[in-house]
Amino acid sequence: MRWLSWAVIALVVLWAAMPSLFTGYDPLAGVPAEKLQGPSAAHLFGTDAVGRDLFARVVHGSVHSLSGALVAVAVGLVFGTLLGLIAGSVRGVVDEIVMRVMDVLLSVPGLLLALTVIILLGPGTVHVALAVGVGSVASFARLARAEVVRVRRTDYVEAAFGSGGTFAGVLWRHVLPNSLGPVIALSALQFGVAILAISTLGFLGYGAEPPTPEWGLLIAEGRNYLATSWWLTTLPGAVVVAVVLAAGRISKEIR
Amino acid sequence: MSSFRPAVVTVAMLAAVGLLTSCGGSGTGAQAKSDGEPVYGGTLTYLEHQPPTCLYLPAAGFYPNGGVLNQLTDKLTWQNPETLKIEPWIATKWEINEDATEYTFHLRDGVTFSDGTPLDAEAVAANFDVYGRGDDKLKLPPAEFVNNYERSEVIDARTVRFHFGKPSPGFLQGTSVIGAGLVSKKTIGLPYEEQCQLKNIIGSGPFTVAKQVVDKEIDLQARKDYNWAPPSSAHQGRAYLDLVKIIVTPEDNVRVGALTSGQADYVRYVQAYDEATVKSAGFVVQGEPTRGVNNGLYLRPANSILKDIRVRKALQAGTDAKEVVDTLFTDNYPVATSVLSHQAAGYVDLSDKLAYDPGKAGELLDEAGWTRGADGVREKDGVKLRLGVFVAGPQPLSKQTLELVAQQWAKIGVKLEIRPADAGTQAVDIKDAEKTAVNHSMVGRADQDVIKSQFHTKNRDVILSNDTKLDQLLEEESALADETRRNEKVAEIQRYVIDQGYAIPLFEEPQVYGIAPYVHGAAFEAVGRPSFYAVWLGK
Repeated sequence: MRWLSWAVIALVVLWAAMPSLFTGYDPLAGVPAEKLQGPSAAHLFGTDAVGRDLFARVVHGSVHSLSGALVAVAVGLVFGTLLGLIAGSVRGVVDEIVMRVMDVLLSVPGLLLALTVIILLGPGTVHVALAVGVGSVASFARLARAEVVRVRRTDYVEAAFGSGGTFAGVLWRHVLPNSLGPVIALSALQFGVAILAISTLGFLGYGAEPPTPEWGLLIAEGRNYLATSWWLTTLPGAVVVAVVLAAGRISKEIR
Repeated sequence: MSSFRPAVVTVAMLAAVGLLTSCGGSGTGAQAKSDGEPVYGGTLTYLEHQPPTCLYLPAAGFYPNGGVLNQLTDKLTWQNPETLKIEPWIATKWEINEDATEYTFHLRDGVTFSDGTPLDAEAVAANFDVYGRGDDKLKLPPAEFVNNYERSEVIDARTVRFHFGKPSPGFLQGTSVIGAGLVSKKTIGLPYEEQCQLKNIIGSGPFTVAKQVVDKEIDLQARKDYNWAPPSSAHQGRAYLDLVKIIVTPEDNVRVGALTSGQADYVRYVQAYDEATVKSAGFVVQGEPTRGVNNGLYLRPANSILKDIRVRKALQAGTDAKEVVDTLFTDNYPVATSVLSHQAAGYVDLSDKLAYDPGKAGELLDEAGWTRGADGVREKDGVKLRLGVFVAGPQPLSKQTLELVAQQWAKIGVKLEIRPADAGTQAVDIKDAEKTAVNHSMVGRADQDVIKSQFHTKNRDVILSNDTKLDQLLEEESALADETRRNEKVAEIQRYVIDQGYAIPLFEEPQVYGIAPYVHGAAFEAVGRPSFYAVWLGK
């Protein structure tokens, strides 16, 4: 089953890169006369209330959700690892200050933190990604610090210092590469979490402006039709579930 | 043993059939009972779409507010929702002078507010002094349904006269709207923030507030000594119900689900796509007209792109209202044929001016110098033809409507930027014609003055008007005493608004209610807000 999770991720990445290969329909302009049709050969995921092809919207929406998740993970990975690296290698007062700030960040629920950032920055795809990224800095920093503290005490690092390496040089050449493994695994896991968080914020209406398709927004739009047109929520929901599960499995493998 | 199987199945099936028939039987039984005498007592659970906001009476235009205030207060006069004639209520009779500048009302005897104080001429005068002029000290704004008000005069305990600086023919109807509900002198003397709060609203209506959980639930209790319904009402005396539980349920699915599963008896705002579900479950879908300015897009001439009338006319020609209605709505939502609903006072059919013609729209835009760019969006001097609009929370399916219009406008090379209704930015940007070029709204009221409410710079001013001629026309309309001439003026305004391209009417917005079959006597005022006074439960 290993290949399946990779296949799912590869597929959605392809969706994001070359959406027109997968669907010929326009995600923004529908045919009003064909509204609310169930899934069929012509419309794989059916059509929405304005007659737009839902599959086209999911495919074209993937670029917003995936790039958002990438930015979010990148923000968390870069800033979190950097902070963890500094705290773990310098130790002392700097370590205390950085890690206590991270503790505060961790104690605030992620969604609340993301919402606060969104309210400050204003809605929009990039802002949502940043907001979710800020929320994950703390967990990256903690993990990176723990690894750095372990690696820092190993003999070869001591030896590197002993043979005249500069502080920054040793960190870059020996400490960072050797403590990065679990952090990469976490970023794969965070990728799934970020897609969920971005979808959540999209659901709440803080993401892309309508009629731009975005996964969370698609689910939110469909929920009013839950009783009459199940495919509007179920199918985009299933796509999000599949992608998040796949990202989780891949993260497990890397670890 | 296996030979028993078919027998068991048959028995089970018979039982099921039996159950079904007995269900049908009891159903008809309930029906028979319902045709009989009304019953007193019981609790009605009413689900409201949005929480009420400020309950200062002139703010009753917001439907959730009106739904509560209509039960708590009485009005001077009663507008018959079928004939739209003004009939006596708290005022038993009235006289109006020739040019509609003096109104004298004779009040009913023995009416009291729920705090025990009498509803007399002084109380009525105090109410209308505030509604007519506002009160700067108490921060109370004047009401949009009173125009040209000068002062009140208490002639005796049961006679009050109102004087107007200019003719005010709309005033008689104005005394019948929910916003003109009468409250005790104590309430009307409170500052704005306090009149906003439900607990301070002391009226003379058939219900009083028993309990309130802010933004969640309001319980209304019948007033036992109530005995002053409009004389033409078939029901007199106290309300049939004991208690009305108004529960705020924003999620559309939940309201409809609660209704069809028997957890609620009466819900407001059944969305168009849920109507079939409600009907097929054997419930009543009741669409009430709002008889006012139609649901539509209102274009702001102060915007740097929309200041060109050709662009506004192009947008008008490039919008297919029929497609919007056919795609998203039902028969309860007639396609607009003018700025006003066809059931509004002074309506004139302008459908020939509102025909969908994308070809003409394209020509107008070409003429105005907007040429198509590489991405299909027109531009002029480096500026893209992009217009902003906010999703309007109170309008049904506003987002879908705007998305569909955006799709239509894309065909003529115009980009409509739809912004989600997030309260913070909206409050700031909606008053800025540059950021919010288009306004999606409607307003209901069964009087000619409704058009003034929507467009006048001192009222709702949805187009942030900079057109003094429009203001002047609206003022002329609100001061004409003669009904026929007033209607002619309203027709002139409708033509003017359409010719100037200020409005793209979409549909005549109804208020759609879902009602359980055992709820009887559901009644509505002229613009579709419910009255629970004569409602009774036949279950």
